[in-house]
Amino acid sequence: MKANLTILALLLSCAAVPASAFDFSNLDIGKTMETLKKIKQANTDIDEPQEIELGQGIASNLLGAAPLMKNQRVQQYVNQVGRWLAMQTERPDLPWQFGVLEDNDINAFAAPGGYVFITKGLLARMNSEAELAGVLAHEISHVLRKHHLQAIKKGARTELMAEFTSEVIKEKGGNPALNKLVSAGTEVYTRGLDKGDEFEADRMGVVIAARGGYDPFGLPAVLQTLQAINPQDSGLALMFKTHPALADRLGLLDKLMANSFDRFENQPNLSARFMASMGNTK
Amino acid sequence: MRWIAAVLLSAICGLAQAGDPAYTVRDTDLRAKPFSDAESLSVIAANSKVEILQRKSSWMQVKVAGATGWVKMLSLRLSSSTGLRKSGDSGLAALFNVASTGNSGSTVTTGVRGLSEEQLKNTHANPQELEQAHAYAVSKAEAKRFAQEGRLSARDMAYLPEVKGDN
Repeated sequence: MKANLTILALLLSCAAVPASAFDFSNLDIGKTMETLKKIKQANTDIDEPQEIELGQGIASNLLGAAPLMKNQRVQQYVNQVGRWLAMQTERPDLPWQFGVLEDNDINAFAAPGGYVFITKGLLARMNSEAELAGVLAHEISHVLRKHHLQAIKKGARTELMAEFTSEVIKEKGGNPALNKLVSAGTEVYTRGLDKGDEFEADRMGVVIAARGGYDPFGLPAVLQTLQAINPQDSGLALMFKTHPALADRLGLLDKLMANSFDRFENQPNLSARFMASMGNTK
Repeated sequence: MRWIAAVLLSAICGLAQAGDPAYTVRDTDLRAKPFSDAESLSVIAANSKVEILQRKSSWMQVKVAGATGWVKMLSLRLSSSTGLRKSGDSGLAALFNVASTGNSGSTVTTGVRGLSEEQLKNTHANPQELEQAHAYAVSKAEAKRFAQEGRLSARDMAYLPEVKGDN
């Protein structure tokens, strides 16, 4: 309330300035207060149940674009690796779910609340459980830091966020703002997150993989593998559009991992278990 | 049967990058063994072309100008311009029926589904598939059992601060 009054006082003082370019004679104080109230509500954080609800909607949309690969063994294996990694983080009790999408493109996606998906096309380029762990840990980091939520917030109209987080509407049962935010959240996949968020997820991902007991060089190994693929390959188009250049990401990991990762040098990559889990699919 | 052979072969080689050309991004010690204190055979100048043989954690065994030795994997970038990767394919690309070499043609999609920008913009919710995803989720207890089976042990490590020179 104090903040509202301050802003109001500021607005009124502006009105007092004799500037012919601005006409404040029609200033509706009631309406201004209402808008300020909404802005204040929007600044309240989305709570965890809301985050999960939003993530479910976005995950459902993603699965509308590409369904799950029909292979229970592969799906469960990816969930086992992912859940173990998530347990090593500051949000171990989210309803974490991992999935492989039936799609030949090379990409991976995280949705708020603990949803992580990788494409079959990306999985097919991997060689070990440590590589899978590196990629999953990168996506897990996006969830931990709520990168996706921030991107949605940034793009959505303030009023829409206010509507979504407002207690009054929640109590009534429905939340018409949800669908709009789910659509906005799905569109984030076509634009991508901030580059800084991607670098942060790389930085955190290698640490989470190390914490899980894996060879932490799995993530950079996958990035190197992707470097060797023809960049004109259409399967890489969206991933390239929405992520920083592979060389930049590798450059960062090069500096980051130079010394502090030596003690994890001999952690396993479990390539045999990975191949067995993938191979017995026939 | 062919899949099994491919999978076994790749489990032995353990590397998709094998056979790929790469170049050094800085002057790099070529070492006799994959350890920081191993004997240095020579110094490879920045921008030298090498051929990757295998990876062992943070080390890459390479062939360069007739010599074979180990360099830090992150001193290398792979040459994307060459584009063709066949020799070191893990076999999974074939197993999953995913094109394993650069395909510059248009994406072959069936129906309207897919993860291209356009397709993501026009997608619809798929609650049944979401249900299926829920069904595949595993508990913490199950994940722990899985980790023990793989002899993975949790380690402590704090997140690292941003390094200078990030973009």
